[in-house]
Amino acid sequence: MSIEFKDIYKSFGTNQVLKGVSFTVEDGEICALIGENGAGKSTLMNILGGVIKKDSGDIFIDGKKVDFNKPIEAIDCGIAFIHQELNLINDLPIYENMFIGREIKNRNRLLNHKEMLDQTKKIFEDMNINLNPKTMVNDLDVSYKQIVEIARAMMMNARTIIMDEPTTSLTEKEIKRVFEMMLHLKKRNVSIIYISHKLNEIKEICDRYYCLRDGNLVSKGLVSDVSTDDLATFMVGHEFNIKESKKDFVKGEEIFRVENYSKSNIFNDISFKLHKGEILGFTGLLGDGRSELFRSIFGIDKADLGSIFMDKHQINIDNVVDAIDKGIGYLPKNRKENGIIKDMNILENATIVVWPKYAKYGFIDIKLHKKIFREQVKSLRIKLIDETENINNLSGGNQQKVILAKWLATNPKVMILDNPTQGVDVGAKEDIYEIIKNLADHGMGIIILSSEAQEIVRICDRAIVMYHGKIQGEVFKDSLNEHNIMKLATGGNIKSEVG
Amino acid sequence: MAEISRKGNSIISRIKYKWLNQPLFSTAVALVIMIIVQTLVLGFDFDSIGSWFSSWLNNWINILRNNASIGIIALGMTLVIISGGIDLAVGSTLVATGAVLMMLIDVGPNGILLRLGITGIPAFIIAIFIILLMGSALGSLIGLLITKGKIPPFIATLGAMKIFRSVTQHFMQGYNPTVPREFLAISNLKLGKFMIMPIVYWIILSVIFYIISKKTVFGRQVIAVGSNEKSARLSGVKVERVKTLVYTLSGLLVAIASIVQVSRIGSMDFANAGSGSEMDAIAAVVVGGTSMSGGKGQILGTVIGVLIIAVMNNLLNLFGVPPFLREAFKGVIVVTAVLLQKKENV
Repeated sequence: MSIEFKDIYKSFGTNQVLKGVSFTVEDGEICALIGENGAGKSTLMNILGGVIKKDSGDIFIDGKKVDFNKPIEAIDCGIAFIHQELNLINDLPIYENMFIGREIKNRNRLLNHKEMLDQTKKIFEDMNINLNPKTMVNDLDVSYKQIVEIARAMMMNARTIIMDEPTTSLTEKEIKRVFEMMLHLKKRNVSIIYISHKLNEIKEICDRYYCLRDGNLVSKGLVSDVSTDDLATFMVGHEFNIKESKKDFVKGEEIFRVENYSKSNIFNDISFKLHKGEILGFTGLLGDGRSELFRSIFGIDKADLGSIFMDKHQINIDNVVDAIDKGIGYLPKNRKENGIIKDMNILENATIVVWPKYAKYGFIDIKLHKKIFREQVKSLRIKLIDETENINNLSGGNQQKVILAKWLATNPKVMILDNPTQGVDVGAKEDIYEIIKNLADHGMGIIILSSEAQEIVRICDRAIVMYHGKIQGEVFKDSLNEHNIMKLATGGNIKSEVG
Repeated sequence: MAEISRKGNSIISRIKYKWLNQPLFSTAVALVIMIIVQTLVLGFDFDSIGSWFSSWLNNWINILRNNASIGIIALGMTLVIISGGIDLAVGSTLVATGAVLMMLIDVGPNGILLRLGITGIPAFIIAIFIILLMGSALGSLIGLLITKGKIPPFIATLGAMKIFRSVTQHFMQGYNPTVPREFLAISNLKLGKFMIMPIVYWIILSVIFYIISKKTVFGRQVIAVGSNEKSARLSGVKVERVKTLVYTLSGLLVAIASIVQVSRIGSMDFANAGSGSEMDAIAAVVVGGTSMSGGKGQILGTVIGVLIIAVMNNLLNLFGVPPFLREAFKGVIVVTAVLLQKKENV
């Protein structure tokens, strides 16, 4: 099936997300759609899938103009969207999943299991899938789940399949399996739109690429004509954000070291050092394992293997309380879920970690808490009217500062910040960067986890890039730029530099 | 938005704001209204104000005495519910601790302490000590089932409720312990002219638990755990310990309630005592403005909640409502209370 997009515009409020994108996919073609987070890929595909409506522009399918209002209309036209979060019900067998919402019933209005089973068997044979349709979806690994979704799409006569980052959580072997399936579909003239950050995979499997940046189509062509290096450049733009002249970071003493940290299937053999006053970035794409790594280091989850050293002495961290006692602070991602306690006031949210430390005979020393917090309100520039108001009355940026205050109250030697600028506005973002730099200048070791290469380049002295749970490379000084980060994060290598 | 409504000048908008945002305010208003109604029903007599007052007072002492033990149980229930849990086992724990207490102090031929040669005050002290220990142990057992065994509180306490009651009933079959007269003094000692010891215990415990909940690290951690367990854990709160302790305290309070109960009446119906008291306690907690989803609630609210239900029972009595219909009124008041409370925006 051929699809043609002409001059698609879409905005959300004042935010122009797509600025006249044109795009074609031919019969039986595997087409890569690349771009950084927020480039407009998902919006474009959601328009094709009928999830959201375009503002203007035309879509032609096999030369006929179409306009989808609902996902079902796109499905009826033969377009299937396989989302990153798979759409299967774990507690049902495969063949029932194949018919969710369109169950085959017999005359008594009961499910006709036999017919559903037979049809599933038939399509599996057709597609060369070696799976027992009676297997529970729960027992499948992610690649097979994806294959089941593809088979379901095929059963609904899909002729174009959109796959949104299908390989992020797959192992190498599983990726092979999915690729085989994609090639099989290609032979049968099914078109595939493949959204991915993994440039090596795109080189391997795709015919054509389209690259979006800030809602514009910035590059397109045949994959065979370009290198992964070129693709990375297209994604971040030609002018790399040259780092603002950064002080040459002189490595202080080592304060924190992790050796051979491993947890099966999540992260593998991670070793790194952190120095006094250093801001060390950890970045990578979805599924790189960095958040899980630091959850383990902070004692929330257990790692299988590895050791941690603080001030060159090995320390043992079994739980969060240990980690806090040893001088580690941890600002988690997803503030609402992991950070704030919605039924408590600002002061309590800002001091909960130190309650036990400053307690007198188990009683909370509220005067002392107020004193500590008021100093922080000044130094962190938290804007608030009354510290006894509920935490929900603060803006996102100020909430984040309160959570930061709670950790700074423990005087940590090492501060781990996972996505510290998530959901805060531009002004607060700058404030938080400044606070972080200030802390580092006073000798704290800081680790920042972020998926935004720009942020890492902007604030870190050094960055470690992870890929599939492993350290893919390290960048610093001149090599610390968005281009190198993107290359490493997509599984590539950069020229090793002396360092 | 809150800013605007708070600054609304008219009295009505101010009352509305308070009503919606301070559960204590609305429950207190409800209680005051009920007391006024109750007073009116009792009939106000200007001519003989002295005798009117003494009958009014006697009525109140009766109400409070009868509700002291449920009031004590409800204090523990409040902490449990704030922590995001529930304790269905309080009624059975009451009967189990009550039974053991009576076996210990029994002055009949089977009395345990009597056969060991211990009687009088020493026997009472030992018995009370054992009972408090037993209540706490049963509570922490439930707590461990919930935290270490990862069983949902509803299921764990449902199981405990069945086990405690059934075992107690089995062993107490045909056994009728005699509570020594002296033991009854614990609840029936007169302060001045009034027999108000159970009320005194209730007030003291309420004050203690109010302070625990408001001023101690543990009390605030209970709120943190109930409000957002994940955040609490990531902030270094020992969530398992806090939860276990909450159920332990609940068990301890139930044991105290059983002492009050046994010393007040001098006997216990092992088949029925305490049955339904878990629901009465939960009802009082909910009427007092504590949220079943955890994180929000106050000890003072629960005290008012107990009083509201007690006054209502008293009113139903005065109005001569048939006994079978009274439970229906309890149901209505619980549902109405929650209907009037502020709902989380979804």
